[in-house]
Formats: sequence, C-alpha cells, structure tokens
Amino acid sequence: MHSFIQLSILVLLLPLLSFVLLIFFNRRLPRGGDFIGVGLLGATFSIAAYMFWQVVVVAYDPAFRLAWDFTWIDFGNVPGVGPLEIKMGIMIDNLTVIMLAMVTLISFLVHLYSTGYMHGETYYGRFFAYLGIFTFSMLGIVLSDNLFSIYIFWELVGLSSYLLIGFYFHKDSAADAQKKAFLTNRIGDIGMWLGILILYSQFHTFGYEEIFEHIRVGEFHMSQAWLTAAGILLFMGCVGKSAQFPLHVWLPDAMEGPTPVSALIHAATMVAAGVYFVGRIFPILTPDALMVIAFVGAVTAFMAATIAITQHDIKRVLAYSTVSQLGYMVLGLGVGAYSAGLFHLLTHAFFKACLFLGSGAIIHAMHHEQDMRWMGGLWKKMPWTFATFTIATLALAGLPLSSGFMSKDAILAGALGYAEVEGGGLFYLIPVLGFFSAMLTAFYMGRQVWLVFFGQSRTHLKPADPHHHDDHAHDGHHEVHEVAWNMRLPLVILATLSVFAVYSPDPLDGAKGWFMHLVQTPQTAVTAAVAPGAPEEEQDVHHEPANHAETAPLHAEVSGLLAEAEVHTDALHMSDAEHHAVDTGADHAQHDVHGEHGADDAHHGPTFDDPRQAAIAHAAHANHDNAITYSSIMVASGITLALIVYVFGFINPEKTAQRIRPLYLYSFNKWYWDEIYNATVIKGSLLLARILSWFDSNIIDGIVNGVGALVRRIGRMSGNIDRYIVDGAVNFTAFFVQSSGAILKKVQTGKVQTYVAMVLLAVTAYVIYYILQLQP
Amino acid sequence: MDAFTHIGLTHYLVISAMLFAFGLFAVVTRKNAIVILMGVELMLNAANINFLAFSKYNGGMEGVMFSLFVIVLAAAEAAIALAIVINIYKTFNTVDVSSIDSMKE
Repeated sequence: MHSFIQLSILVLLLPLLSFVLLIFFNRRLPRGGDFIGVGLLGATFSIAAYMFWQVVVVAYDPAFRLAWDFTWIDFGNVPGVGPLEIKMGIMIDNLTVIMLAMVTLISFLVHLYSTGYMHGETYYGRFFAYLGIFTFSMLGIVLSDNLFSIYIFWELVGLSSYLLIGFYFHKDSAADAQKKAFLTNRIGDIGMWLGILILYSQFHTFGYEEIFEHIRVGEFHMSQAWLTAAGILLFMGCVGKSAQFPLHVWLPDAMEGPTPVSALIHAATMVAAGVYFVGRIFPILTPDALMVIAFVGAVTAFMAATIAITQHDIKRVLAYSTVSQLGYMVLGLGVGAYSAGLFHLLTHAFFKACLFLGSGAIIHAMHHEQDMRWMGGLWKKMPWTFATFTIATLALAGLPLSSGFMSKDAILAGALGYAEVEGGGLFYLIPVLGFFSAMLTAFYMGRQVWLVFFGQSRTHLKPADPHHHDDHAHDGHHEVHEVAWNMRLPLVILATLSVFAVYSPDPLDGAKGWFMHLVQTPQTAVTAAVAPGAPEEEQDVHHEPANHAETAPLHAEVSGLLAEAEVHTDALHMSDAEHHAVDTGADHAQHDVHGEHGADDAHHGPTFDDPRQAAIAHAAHANHDNAITYSSIMVASGITLALIVYVFGFINPEKTAQRIRPLYLYSFNKWYWDEIYNATVIKGSLLLARILSWFDSNIIDGIVNGVGALVRRIGRMSGNIDRYIVDGAVNFTAFFVQSSGAILKKVQTGKVQTYVAMVLLAVTAYVIYYILQLQP
Repeated sequence: MDAFTHIGLTHYLVISAMLFAFGLFAVVTRKNAIVILMGVELMLNAANINFLAFSKYNGGMEGVMFSLFVIVLAAAEAAIALAIVINIYKTFNTVDVSSIDSMKE
C-alpha cells in the first residue's frame, strides 16, 4: 500500500475521530472541546497539505493516479445475480489531492472561525462535532473510488447538512429548512441511486474505472438511451446536492444554519460534492446527457443571478450567488469544459467561503442583523472584513486579476466552443445565459458591497420589531467593532487564495496554470459505443447489419489512427441519406482540428480520441479571447450599472422597482418556485396523503374491521356451541352420575347382612338363569 | 324304595344342602355376630360333607384332603373372626351387626 493511501485514510478518519470525541464528551471537556475539533482539523489539513505539496508541486504529473481497494462485503454466488461482492476503495489522482487540500483547509478555517462566531452558544461543543462529521462525509466522497461508497458518503453529507442547517432547531424556520434540505436532496438521491443501479445491472461492478473500461470496450448491451438515462439520473444526485434548477429551493433556506455552516456547505462540502461527482462520472456521460447538464446549468446560473439582485438578506444574496456559480460549474461540465468547471469549483470555494465568513463577521458585529437595508458605512469600522470581502467580491464578479475571472472565462469559452460545434441556434443560449449571469453577478455583488460597507449607517432606520424583546434591539445604536483574530485570519487566508497568482502566472489565461495542467479532461468512454450525436445512433439502428460490421472496426481504428478513421467516418456519413445538421457541424469542426492539430498540441492538453470531444476542446480554445472580451464587457457593464444605481444615484432603485413591479416581484419572490412547489408538489403530496389516509381509514380499516367482526361472530357461535353443546354434555354426564349415585347409594347400607342377602339373591338369580338355560 | 333303603350320594347332598341353607339362614337373619359365625361354620361343614360325599362316590382321596384343609381353615377363620368380634365389641360396645353400619359412609 502506497504511503499516500495511508495518509489519505488518516485524512478521512481524523475528522470522524473529532466527531466521535466531541459528540460524546463535549460537555465534560473545557471550552466544549473546540480545541479537539480545531486541532484535529489542523492536523488533517497538514497531512492534506503535505500530499498536495508532494503531488502538485513536486510530482506535477497529469497522469498521477493511485488506487487501492478491498472487498467490503462478499455475498458469494447469489442465485439469479451471480457473484456479488461490494468493494470499498480509495482512488487518488490530482483532482482528489486538490480537493482534499481545499476541503480540509476550508473546514479548518471554518472550525477556527467558529471558535469566535459560535462563542457562547448553548450547544457549542456539539456544533464542532457536527462540523467534524460533515468534513468526514465530504472527504469520503472525494476519496471514493466507486459508486457504492460515494453513495454512502453522499447520504452522510445529507445527514450532516440536516444536523447543521437545523442547528438552531428550536426555531421553527430552521427546523423547516433542515427538513426541506433533506427531503429535496432525497429526491435527487433517488435518481442517483437508480442511475447507479442501471450501471450495476449492466456491469456488475460499482467501480468507476471498471465501468469506464466496460463502456469503452463497448460492453454496454442496452440501447444508448439507457446510458443517457443513467447519466441524467446520476446527474439528478448532483441536481439535489449542488442545488441545481429545479431542486435549488433548499439552498437559500439553508441559510437558517449558523453562518460558518453556510460557508462550509457553500464552499467546501455539500454543494461541491455534486459538481465533483459529475466530474468523476464525466467519461460515461453521453452527448445527450451532457446537453441536458449544460442547459440545466445555464438555466440555474441565470435564474439564481436574477433572484439575487433583489434579495435583502445578506446571506440570501450570497446563497443565490452560490446557486448561480454552481450553475456555471455544471454548465462547464456539461459543455465539456471539464477542467474549467472543476477549476471554478476550486476558486469559487475559496472566495465564496471568504464571502460567507465575511458576512458572518458582519452579522456577528451587527448583533445578528442580516438585512442589508439596515447596514451601511461599515468599511471604516471593519477594515479587515471590508478588504477581504471586496477581494472575494471581485473574484466572484470575475474581474481580471482575480481567480474567478480565469475559471469563469474558461467555462464561458467552453460554452462558446460547444455552441459552435453543436451548430449554433438554440445552443448559443448556453453561453448567452452565462454572459448575462456574469453581468448580473457583477451587479448584485456591487450592490451588496455598496449597501453593506458604504454610505451612512442605516441601523436607526430599521422599524422596531414588536415581537423582539431583546433589550439592545430597541436602542438601535450598536457599537460595531472589527472581529477578533480567530475570525479575521480565515478571511485573510481565503482572500489571498482568491488572487490569480495562486493559480496561474497569466492573469488572463487559467489554462497556463497548474490546475488546468494537472486536471485534464478525461477521455470520454462512450466514444467507442456510439459515434457523435444521438440521431446517428438511431440511423444506425435502421441500417442493414453490414453497416454495423463496418462501424465496429472503424471504432477500433479510432483510438490509433485518428486521421484515417475520420475519412471513414465521413464516407459513412455521406452514404447516409438523411444527413443530420448537427453532424455536419461536428464534421467541419473535426476538419478544423486536423488543420491545426500539430500546432495546438503543444500547450493544449490532451488529444482526444473522440472527434466530437476534440472538436469542442479545440473550439473552446479558439474562443478563449472572445470569452475574455465578452465577459469583461459584461462584468464592466454590471459594475457600471451598480455604480450608476447605488453610488452616483442616477437611477433610484426603489422607483425603478416600482416601474417594473411585476419583474421586480418575480425576482424578489424567487421566481415563485416555493409557491409553485407548494401548489403542485406539496399540495399534491398532501392530497395523495389525504387520499391514502381515506383509503386507509375506510377501505383497509373496513377490511380489518370486517374481518374482526366476522371473527367475533364466529367466536360467539363457537362460544355458544361450547356453552350449550359441549358444556351440556359435560353437565349432563355429571348430572346423570350424580343422580344415579344418589339412587345407588341407598343400596349401600353398611350392614353386612344386607350384602350377604344381595349376594344370595344374585347367586339365586344366576342359578335360576342357569337352570333356565339348560332347558332346550 | 331304594331311596329309603340304601343311603346314596343324594342323601349326603341333601343333608349338605339343608345344612348349608341353615347356615346361610343364620348368617342372613341372626343379629348376634357370634351366631353369624356359627352359621358360617355350618356352611363350611356343609361344604365338607359335599367334599367327602363326592370323594366317597368318586373313589379318590382329593375330597378328604380338601375337607381336612377346610377344617384347618375353619379353625383359623374362627380364631380371626372371634378376634374381630371382640374388637367390634370393644369399639361399638355391642355385637349386634344390624346396629354396626359405619361402613355405609
């Protein structure tokens, strides 16, 4: 076993140890045992940082990969299934190591920060225990090498998020939010589980690599549509966990949890899990599944961005911005910009953790005031928070020189390339939504920074809350101070990690950085199973078998002799009577690839066996400069708009909101998703529940009661038989015996002579009888 | 009139039967336990006569042997019975069997 495997097991188990120690002993330890949580997470991070140093800085090898597994459960030969065993294992590649470092760092910082933020809470020690199990679950997801164990940790993340979101469980809103988060996630998880089962039913294995290999060699016996279905179902897990449209509703409500939890959920653990998972299963995703993923991501990014611009709660704005950024990541993965999507996951983790911890510092300093309308003018009072928050905001908005700029630009370039390869039209909706979201992001973050940090303090404007009996809530004048060092340090570290130089020497091109070098788009596994584009697959089905025979060797050639295979493919396409427009576009792109192949290879990462993937990668690269230009324009216009509205006051936001009131309300009420779900899903399930309850109380209970009545009647009948017939017989026997005894006892006089007389009588009678017998 | 001139088996049997009947009569009707015992003796001796008569007319010695046994048995019986009677008398202060009916219960 490689020492890295042992180290990674240590990384996995230390947070669990923290959980176990704290959940049992937090009341007996001084300070609620927070030093155990912080200390163990510090140790965890040190180990992860050592691995990061060894892998990323020292080795710097894109092909680095370690795997280790063991048989966890062996069911032997199950009848009807065949040999069934479930393996557990660890797979470490560059992405895993980077994720380990990111998760443990942010978790450690959140632990440290919580010692300040959560100080004096009733369940202080328990909070650290929950943070421990949350980190443990996320690390399990990162380290898993198969679908089964990732599903276990996936559910553990669901559980620990439930515990943390409902940390203030005595508040109804928090209790509701935790239930909502858990149930919404369950919907996605069901889909994910079905997807896992589809794959298992085909390959009888859960391991990623085995599944990829099976698909790569074309062992998928069901129709291609099943593979697409499996991909989309697995993606449903990500939709739930990573809060994609339409299951995004839980995430803003999850703001009911303490702010450090929000930072952990939104940056490092929960929502990252979904994107990471899609990254892990990326090779099995068919073009159709990827298209669905890309559109879901684009819609999510745009929708959440439009909602974020009207929210008042500082954490809610950040929550929707998280949803929006997650949309970007999913969009990136969907359009095939794999490393860009995961790069954004990393950069976003740091600047969003910084933003959340910063907002936590503000809330802490403002005595639990979360409404931005009553903030303002904080920059003088909280200079550290202001500086770090602003840096992170610039990264989130995607300004040049920030980390967010590089990753977002890479995603948008990928989206442009994808739209180009797919043949334009509706597909251009994806990059367009992406660019608009970039503008909106810049706008709402500009709005937030202005409302929170600049202008005059508006604390006194807050209408007194009649239900709030806290004393200092009424005086309206709090002393606002900068937070203590243990809350400031995480902010500084995270803000530092939001600067471009950490990731790439060239502030305009993330592709030159170490991340894009180490985490490269994997070869898609479905290339051998199907030629690009689903319509062609359908055509193949209708063709004569000879065509199939021709296709099989063709795919074998694809891996080695790309150029020749291309010619064959074209010939094949030309022979098709119904030549699809999408294919034409793809073919053109393929020809382009061949024109400049040699020149590009130098710094352009891997060459792809799959012509479609190669075409997209090439187009994405070609659109890099366009993406930079467009996104810079969009971001600049977003910031300018924010400046115009909030700084210079050329446009009055209240009046504008009044003028476009329907749109404003649509955004303010979050596109009415909660109301829609309330009216459809929740009402529907309530109705269903009521119908089932009626069915239960009338039909089922009726049957049960009927059976009961029947049994009672039979019982009464049997009772009567018992009482009258059986008891009657018994009683009669007794009565008969008694009465005959009463008669017969008179015979027994006790006088010997009577008996002798009787004997005499009997003998006489017998003799008479005997004599009579003798007569003929 | 052979029956009067020659004493045959029938005479013995008649005597024996009469003797038995007297004994039985005494056992059934008398109240005094001693008399009942005497009745029992009569019946035993009636049986003895039967044994001897049949023995004589059958020509074997078994009847004689049996009657000897019966005599011994009668002696034993008389001893035991008299002991019982004495005990009855001690318990009930009477030998009137009609008033001794505690076996009823």
